[in-house]
Amino acid sequence: MPLFFYSTIAVFVLTYAIIISEKFHRTVVALAGAILMILLGIISQEQAIEGIDFNTLGLLIGMMIVVGIARQSGMFQAVALYLAQKAKGRPIPIFILLGLTVAIFSALLDNVTTVLLMVPVTFVIANNLKISPYPFLISAILMSNVGGMATLIGDPPNIMIGSAANLTFNDFLINLAPISIIIMVVTMGGLYLWYKRELVTTKEAQAAIMKFNPKDALTDMPLLRHSLIVLAIVLLGFIMHGSTGLEGATIALGGAALLLLLSLHDPHDHLREIEWTTIFFFIGLFVLVTGLEHSGAIRMLAEQLLVATAGSPTAMTLTILWGSAILSAIVDNIPFVATMIPLIHDIGSLSGIALAPLWWALAIGADIGGNATLIGASANVVVGGMAEKEGTKIGFFSYMKVALPMTLVALIISSVYMWVRYL
Amino acid sequence: MVTILIMKKDSYLIADYMQSNVTRVSPETTVKEVTEIMLKRKTNGVVVIDSMDAVVGILSSWDIIKHIVPDYLEQDKHLAPFEAAHVFADRIKEVANDPVSKFMTKDVHTAKKDDSLMKAITLLSEFHIRQLPIVDNDNKLIGYINRTDVKRAAGDVLRLNYSD
Repeated sequence: MPLFFYSTIAVFVLTYAIIISEKFHRTVVALAGAILMILLGIISQEQAIEGIDFNTLGLLIGMMIVVGIARQSGMFQAVALYLAQKAKGRPIPIFILLGLTVAIFSALLDNVTTVLLMVPVTFVIANNLKISPYPFLISAILMSNVGGMATLIGDPPNIMIGSAANLTFNDFLINLAPISIIIMVVTMGGLYLWYKRELVTTKEAQAAIMKFNPKDALTDMPLLRHSLIVLAIVLLGFIMHGSTGLEGATIALGGAALLLLLSLHDPHDHLREIEWTTIFFFIGLFVLVTGLEHSGAIRMLAEQLLVATAGSPTAMTLTILWGSAILSAIVDNIPFVATMIPLIHDIGSLSGIALAPLWWALAIGADIGGNATLIGASANVVVGGMAEKEGTKIGFFSYMKVALPMTLVALIISSVYMWVRYL
Repeated sequence: MVTILIMKKDSYLIADYMQSNVTRVSPETTVKEVTEIMLKRKTNGVVVIDSMDAVVGILSSWDIIKHIVPDYLEQDKHLAPFEAAHVFADRIKEVANDPVSKFMTKDVHTAKKDDSLMKAITLLSEFHIRQLPIVDNDNKLIGYINRTDVKRAAGDVLRLNYSD
């Protein structure tokens, strides 16, 4: 029935167009589009609810609670300050260590949380060094997206992919961490060459860093202990979940419940701090994509893609890698990945191609592609906003001048990696 | 009878306790200018009015402090001990020419002079504010009432004798 088909496409395209235009809040638009799918009879409420991936939502909510509590201990900030001191206040080692810290934190926390934690410390360290925070901010954006790629919990697209494709934490670690580390090193090298002349300071400024007592950042020692215990348990839970069969949401929400129990804080504040707008954005997207699936549009797209690539797994993998990267540079990678997941499932059921390389291509493309522009990923937008408030404006094009070449290099390396490892 | 001799005042009105000598500035006043005004007049609060004398904002030393502290330090309480000492002066120079309209409290509650003191203190307590501009029927600023004025009224109710 063509009318049904076209009305579904219209709702979907219109919703995504309004989300991209940023005229209204993306969560409101996604929810309105989702409700429209039900009101127009495209899907029933039951089908809509079935389409929502509660494992993804539970994992996101659980991690938001754990990290929200853990950050209050000051542990993440203390690590950055400690490293600045270990580097003896020398700007270039600090620059490199902070970049790697962002990448590592970002592999364990989500990217936006990582930059929200690390950018303020960056300002403080740069102020003490009396140098511009600009290179540090660019590095924070690039390294958060590169690091986030490495694990199941590092980036929301990975959470969605892992949940939909039944890929474990260790699957991500084995397949994506190596390429993430290679790109980390290359990106850091590129940033070093680009900015090394700006990273110069005085003896007095170095002495100011040496006067730091990083322990002063640890404001709540009992909370620090509890947070470390729970983070370790959660991490262990993820590493073991292939064998225990526990799913991501159980592990993350279990960690949240345990930390709430241990810290005995009023849950009211911690539950309010969950980014509900993000959670409802996901809910809206899942329903929208379910509607599109039911209309058959995604299967048609999958067929087209199979025809275009002549059914060659190599062509398909590279198309998904580069296509995901280009689209994620322009639009938010979360709605993009939400749409791609059923598409890749369809490609599998239509052609019988091995799906694993396609999932990795999607994750790499979506995570790395976000680096290309200042609006490519949420972390970029957040850092841009914080920088502008402090009078260090990051221009759209001046960002691209550094980030686009780095992203292209990363994608070329990723293509080689995919080729050598899977094709 | 003693009670007859004591004149019982039962309605406490804003008009009896408000101060009409209000420090007022325009929305374009800069941080530098308003700091100078506050220092000269030894006050921690000024009322911001437009060209028609209507109240458009209120500004306390508190608002200025919050404007000086960079957002990234406000967001992360762990970092204050580590911030470089020169940032204090840098930030003040950075914001010196910002107009007060950029950071004044715009959501201002006002009262009329014939309103009761009970209304005034309810507003103070409900919105955690320290002073309340008083306007006439055309919404023009005619005075203000602060916590000290409320204490004076309370002193009168309790018949306290506190003058030196």
